[in-house]
Amino acid sequence: MITCSVTFLPDNITVSVEKGKTIAEAAQIAGIKLKMPCGGEGSCGKCAVKVMSNRVSDNVEISLDQKFEQVLACQTEVSEDVTVEVPVNARLGEHQVLLSAEDDNALGTFAFEPLCWKVTITLSPPSINENASDWIRLKGELGKIVGDEEVIIGLPLLTNLAHMLRDASWQVTVTLLQQDGYVEVIDLQPGANDEPIYGLAIDIGTTTVVVYLVDLCSGKVLDRNGTYNKQAVYGDDVIARIIHSQEKNGLQELQDAVVNTIDELTNQLLKKTRIEGTGVKAITIAANTIMTHLFLGLDPKYIRLEPYIPTTSQFPAVKATEVGLRSVPNANIYCMPSVGSYVGGDIVAGVLYTGISQKDELTLFIDIGTNGEIVLGNKEWLISCACSAGPAFEGSGITCGMRAMHGAIERIQITPGTYETRYETVEDGKPTGICGSGLIDCIAKLHHVGLLDRAGRFTADTQDTNRIRNNEEGKEFVISWEKEAGVDNDIVITEGDIQNLIRSKGAIFAGIRCLLNSLQIDMEIVDKFYIAGGFGNYLNINDAIEIGLLPDLPHEKYQFVGNTSVKGAYMTLISRSALKAAVEIGRKMTYMELSVGNEFMDEFVSALFLPHTDLSLFPSVQSN
Amino acid sequence: MAVEILKEKNRSAVQELVLGATSENGGTRTKTITVGGDSALPFHQFEGATPNRPVVAMEVQDIKPEWNDAVLKYFADVADKPGAWAKKCVEEYGADLIYLKLDGAHPDGANRSVEQCVATVKEVLAAVGVPLIVVGCENEEKDHEVMTAVAEAAAGENLLLGFAETDNYKSLTAACMVHKHNIIARSPLDINMCKQLNILISEMNLALNRIVIDPSIGGLGYGIEYAYSILERARLGALQGDKMLSMPIIATVGFEAWKTKEAGASEADYPEWGPQEERGIMWESTTASALLQAGAHILLMRHPKSVEIVKKQIEQLMVSNAY
Ligand code: FES
Repeated sequence: MITCSVTFLPDNITVSVEKGKTIAEAAQIAGIKLKMPCGGEGSCGKCAVKVMSNRVSDNVEISLDQKFEQVLACQTEVSEDVTVEVPVNARLGEHQVLLSAEDDNALGTFAFEPLCWKVTITLSPPSINENASDWIRLKGELGKIVGDEEVIIGLPLLTNLAHMLRDASWQVTVTLLQQDGYVEVIDLQPGANDEPIYGLAIDIGTTTVVVYLVDLCSGKVLDRNGTYNKQAVYGDDVIARIIHSQEKNGLQELQDAVVNTIDELTNQLLKKTRIEGTGVKAITIAANTIMTHLFLGLDPKYIRLEPYIPTTSQFPAVKATEVGLRSVPNANIYCMPSVGSYVGGDIVAGVLYTGISQKDELTLFIDIGTNGEIVLGNKEWLISCACSAGPAFEGSGITCGMRAMHGAIERIQITPGTYETRYETVEDGKPTGICGSGLIDCIAKLHHVGLLDRAGRFTADTQDTNRIRNNEEGKEFVISWEKEAGVDNDIVITEGDIQNLIRSKGAIFAGIRCLLNSLQIDMEIVDKFYIAGGFGNYLNINDAIEIGLLPDLPHEKYQFVGNTSVKGAYMTLISRSALKAAVEIGRKMTYMELSVGNEFMDEFVSALFLPHTDLSLFPSVQSN
Repeated sequence: MAVEILKEKNRSAVQELVLGATSENGGTRTKTITVGGDSALPFHQFEGATPNRPVVAMEVQDIKPEWNDAVLKYFADVADKPGAWAKKCVEEYGADLIYLKLDGAHPDGANRSVEQCVATVKEVLAAVGVPLIVVGCENEEKDHEVMTAVAEAAAGENLLLGFAETDNYKSLTAACMVHKHNIIARSPLDINMCKQLNILISEMNLALNRIVIDPSIGGLGYGIEYAYSILERARLGALQGDKMLSMPIIATVGFEAWKTKEAGASEADYPEWGPQEERGIMWESTTASALLQAGAHILLMRHPKSVEIVKKQIEQLMVSNAY
């Protein structure tokens, strides 16, 4: 047996393998995890590595880079001693959780029973002895399907009923919609009609809006779309929006802005999937209390004033036309119930999706958005609080920040000494900006290589590396030069951006501390931490701990769950029992106001440091 | 039956810090001053040691300051001669050490050159034998040049140099390390920010017993209760073993007290307030004594009479109350 040695860079790990084994097999022995989405078929190209020296016999060769030979690790056999470099984007990130895969099994224990569904019914024709009215005859049959609940029908459909039944030989397809406490007939079609019907699950965030287009017959998510909330021109946070709502036409402008955002996203989805907007029958919306108020055109004024009272926390079902949605004129809209003024339907959706309220384990759920909301509890009890984190983690208000979409830098490595960077972007696009997870990564790495002090100021000077330079307000670090970027400028992170992010992470951490302190619960006894937010494909838990965003606890306790607001909305769209559970969660959860007393401020200031003023809270970071 | 008196037992103590260096240690001071070392709350000598008495530094400036006449009149003959001014403070008014503020360096003011500033420091060093505290003009760029030069020119003298702040601590820390001086870490009335700055400075490897903290204070009637609680929290932190809060504390008493309306307003404007000088003295000495109780180690003061009152008070507080 002939063995060859394979050296992996930059790890500088050498292993010996039998001649004829693939580089991928050698990598596995070396403990280097490669991305291999196609399972080593040679078809995805994700496992490409660079051969730095010597030859290997390769079956497949791609030459993306002229300087070195690039080969597919899964297809390339080792024929002699060789050194290969494994680029960042060929590595499987630690703690990498992909988002879209999870949706398939989103329902958990809830049954698939969409809010809106179709049934085909054949009635026995009336006779002189059996002379119930057409509607009672139909209602009787529907009653067998919906059980206890009352079924109602409106006048426009009734006008047609007599003729339709007789013309279609007493067979009719009924579209039903679950309402609060009753079921409504929203459409009648003659005969057996299996035209599909659709729904939308929407997350209205303060900064971003995400829409899922769902086939209500199968429950499948057909496509997703997201963008910035057009309300952003009226201010970054909910307080600024409330202030704007008090100006002349302000409330209307805000409602129009969010409705237009949804229309735009929906139209793009409909166009792409070639679906008619009239086929969309139901929409579920998860949003914070203020966003829900603004969407429905309810005045949020008193939410901002002590004692912080919303108009309602249970929202009536409305028709699309009532709020001005034009893309889906037939849709019926449900908004998830809120808990309080500062904990809304988005959090109820998150709790529903993560199943906290069904488990014995003590779980902490953190939704990191423009508002940071935190929920602690289990199946017995749930308590929540909210703090203002600002939109930085969503890429807003950051020089080169962006949403986690194509081309967003979501992972960075910085070489100590030379400060050269390597990065991974969403969908491997040319870098166009940095998303939340990239920003977290960036700060952790800058501190790690000694470019950043614990207060978030650059320690290095312009003469130390050309990546550090002065701008009007301080220093900045160049992550990606214009020539490699997909935009016409260098991609940088400035001292101001870093201060912004430190404030955001400080608010979240302070919120966690205050909630636990007030209940006199040690971090250690919390069994599970779910982290939600629109960061990107994954959140590096290590980095999040290193910058002091999350408590220093064993990584197994953490699970990154992505945008749970839209996922919870999706669950309620395709499961009536999930919707009932959501209403129950909203009722059960208590809310704690953090602004009472000085504790939050004190915790906040002590968290404005990397990772924290009290270094003893972060033993694993200290020993780094 | 004997009553058992409960005493607080402390795990740790405030850092002890030496200012100035005599010829054996490479300096030219005739005496050195040691501050800190307390292992109990201020003057709780029944619970722990208070090995070093708090000290009073009198303020001297490099150019004639725009001080209230009630103070300036005592220095009218020396106000433009920093050396002579310092000498008067030590010899006539009993200053434990001299606090030299190089206000004249400010680019928007007298804009004195780096060389002139260094010469002033040397003049004061030559005039007195006590240790020196030297601070810049609070213009970031100018202070960077001035203080680096001062640190170098006075190498060996073991000065106390200020002010390092979170946004601007690196050059002064580096200068203190290279030329073996001590640093004043100044933070804006917040215990966490105070601690953060100490961590930043110590991460540059300046020894903890070379740092003095200025947590910012307010004068009597101007937020002194905040200052009191910050000083108290720092002391409690130090006693509980928090190394990053264990440094001696310096307080800008004269500056804060004399900028208050109560100290500065003339008797003509406020006849019902009584004689102005007496008011000012009381304002300065009351501010000082409150902060002494809260745990200040170095008081930066101006009026000779206030200095006299406070020094007497320190003496009385240092009489052991151990039992
Ligand atoms: S694993 Fe897919 S190409 Fe190698």
